[in-house]
Amino acid sequence: MSKEASTTYEDLNIIGTGAYGTVYRARNRTNNTYVALKKIRVSLTEDGIPMNTLREIGLLKQLDSHEHPNIVRLLDICHGQRSENELVMFLVFEHVDQDLASFIEKWANSKAKLSNDKIRNISREILSGVDFLHSQRIVHRDLKPQNILVTQNCHIKLADFGLAKTYDFEMRLTTVVVTLWYRSPEVLLGQSYATPVDIWSVGCIMAELFMLKPLFCGTSEGDQLSKIFQILGKPHENEWPATNVFINYNSFEVKNKIEIRTLIPNICDNAFDLIMRMLTFNPYKRMCALEALNHEYFMEEPLEL
Amino acid sequence: MPCWYYDKRELRNTPSALDNIDYETEMRYRKEGARFIMDTAFKMDLGCNTKATGAVYFHRFYMFHSFRQFPRYVTACCCLFLAGKVEETPKKCRDIINTARGLLSDAKFSTFGEDPKEEVMTLERILLQTIKFDLQVEHPYRYLLRYAKCLIGDESKLEKMVQMAWTFVNDSLCTTLSLQWEPEIIAVALLYLAGKLSQFEVVDWVGRTNKHLRWWDMFVEDVTLDLLEDICHQVLDLYSQPVAEAPPDSPPLSPKPPLPAPSSSKTNGQEKEKTETPKVKPPPITTTTATTPTVAPVVPEIPAYSYPPAFPAAASHAGSYLPQYTNPTVAPPHIAAPPPGPPPPHISAAQAVLYPPYVGPPPHYAPVVPPASFYQPAPAAPPHRPFYPPPS
Repeated sequence: MSKEASTTYEDLNIIGTGAYGTVYRARNRTNNTYVALKKIRVSLTEDGIPMNTLREIGLLKQLDSHEHPNIVRLLDICHGQRSENELVMFLVFEHVDQDLASFIEKWANSKAKLSNDKIRNISREILSGVDFLHSQRIVHRDLKPQNILVTQNCHIKLADFGLAKTYDFEMRLTTVVVTLWYRSPEVLLGQSYATPVDIWSVGCIMAELFMLKPLFCGTSEGDQLSKIFQILGKPHENEWPATNVFINYNSFEVKNKIEIRTLIPNICDNAFDLIMRMLTFNPYKRMCALEALNHEYFMEEPLEL
Repeated sequence: MPCWYYDKRELRNTPSALDNIDYETEMRYRKEGARFIMDTAFKMDLGCNTKATGAVYFHRFYMFHSFRQFPRYVTACCCLFLAGKVEETPKKCRDIINTARGLLSDAKFSTFGEDPKEEVMTLERILLQTIKFDLQVEHPYRYLLRYAKCLIGDESKLEKMVQMAWTFVNDSLCTTLSLQWEPEIIAVALLYLAGKLSQFEVVDWVGRTNKHLRWWDMFVEDVTLDLLEDICHQVLDLYSQPVAEAPPDSPPLSPKPPLPAPSSSKTNGQEKEKTETPKVKPPPITTTTATTPTVAPVVPEIPAYSYPPAFPAAASHAGSYLPQYTNPTVAPPHIAAPPPGPPPPHISAAQAVLYPPYVGPPPHYAPVVPPASFYQPAPAAPPHRPFYPPPS
């Protein structure tokens, strides 16, 4: 722990170790509140802190000034140790006890179903956060239940965005497997991608809220695509990307097609329609976050607040 | 989010002030540092946003540190270095230092110590922590252009006015205005000043409604004439500072004029001072300090300043693009020809010189020396990857 960071923050325990580094729960000595310390390692070049890192951190700070309710607050940034060619920095975020993965697990273990109202509120808040990020030209690109936080009042806060380039350095140092389950087809196919990838992830997560288990659980890029096609059907050949595809269209054969409605038996029509529009194969035809927020599903009943 | 705006009392109570540097000297150090950032940026073909960002970092840095502890030209280089990276116009630290060496006298350059690059690189982390990683800074330029597009009037006059305002914005970086007011307000004030000096009265604008008394009511709320004039005077004061012939830390020869109606404390653009906005047409700005425009005093009619070739920048670049910063060597004529009647004290200083000669840096501080290993060249960097690389 750095000198600067250790005077203010007292490490308590590790919350998570991901591909992107380690997150600690810590106590702020000055006001006795709990925070999440995210340790990132920055590669130092001949010209100091790299431009990408500066730009991304600057963007995170600027993003935070909007204080969006569904985005986790960035409270502080501290320097840590530096060595010959790397510098440790701590991003200090507000601490939220629970993530959506453990939230879903808790409900799955309780054998009860999440109420439609709860699902709707959670989905709407996730989409609000995503819409905000997209409006700020940020693609999350790794939305999954593990980095969606759920507060005690059941409100949603998105975490772990905006440091794609900074993370690249960290990623090279770890061998942690990154989950493929929420990856969109264009990412799996190695295409260039943009904001629609996040909508795909939200579609997967919404389905998971109804099912209380993941929708597509692939073990490799190819397997993930097969799982997707098994449930959603194979896209038409002219939807398949024309260039730079390293997986052949004909290499997929859909056997034992699963009807998605049988997986989510008690879903209402509006929710089903919304999920299907978010799980559209073609990213250009996929719904955007703002359209999703204006979908009838979010209009139908009085919202539980 | 920390607040980066300060009131005048806070600006007089800085770490440098507590370190026995008097206010005038600190303002001079700030001006010299910012001017040096602009000169270096100009030499290196850096754009207006990079130099402005560097200057804002510089001013913010010295709200937390004393000029005695951190020599201004080293800080200035570091600010420009960081601003280059943030604004995506990166320059090698070595190149910045080499440019600086060309601009500074040996005495001034000696503040960089034995290893200038290491000095600047070490400062980078201190700078980042000091400015709390608030790297994205907005500047008046874009607002200036946005507002100007809405003004209606003679094209060439309008263009002249915008170019003049642009030069004022450049020069405002030498003041602490960026620590006092949001870029929107500075843009309004300096367009207003340019309008007065180029005799372009804005009477109509796109998007005008009955609620608008003046064009800026469309863009900013509750901005009084007192406030605008205070901002204008802070910029005009740059052109009228007396020659400093005295030794370094002695006060300037002629005392500064009392500040016009100091603005009350404020927090952000939405809750500016609530002084009543006069319902009458504003009197023309004069170089006297009209503190109570509400009373509509008998203001002597301002003489017709023959405006062009006033600002070198405005004159030589009268084209489709806005002027680059050029280092004016003479005071603009509107200062040379004061209005009739008793001139305001800051004009009365006979010889207006833009840049008082350098009179010695504050004592050098002991540099923070990092372990020697720290700045050794990094091993072969891994290949650069695109921003959102597809997963392998």
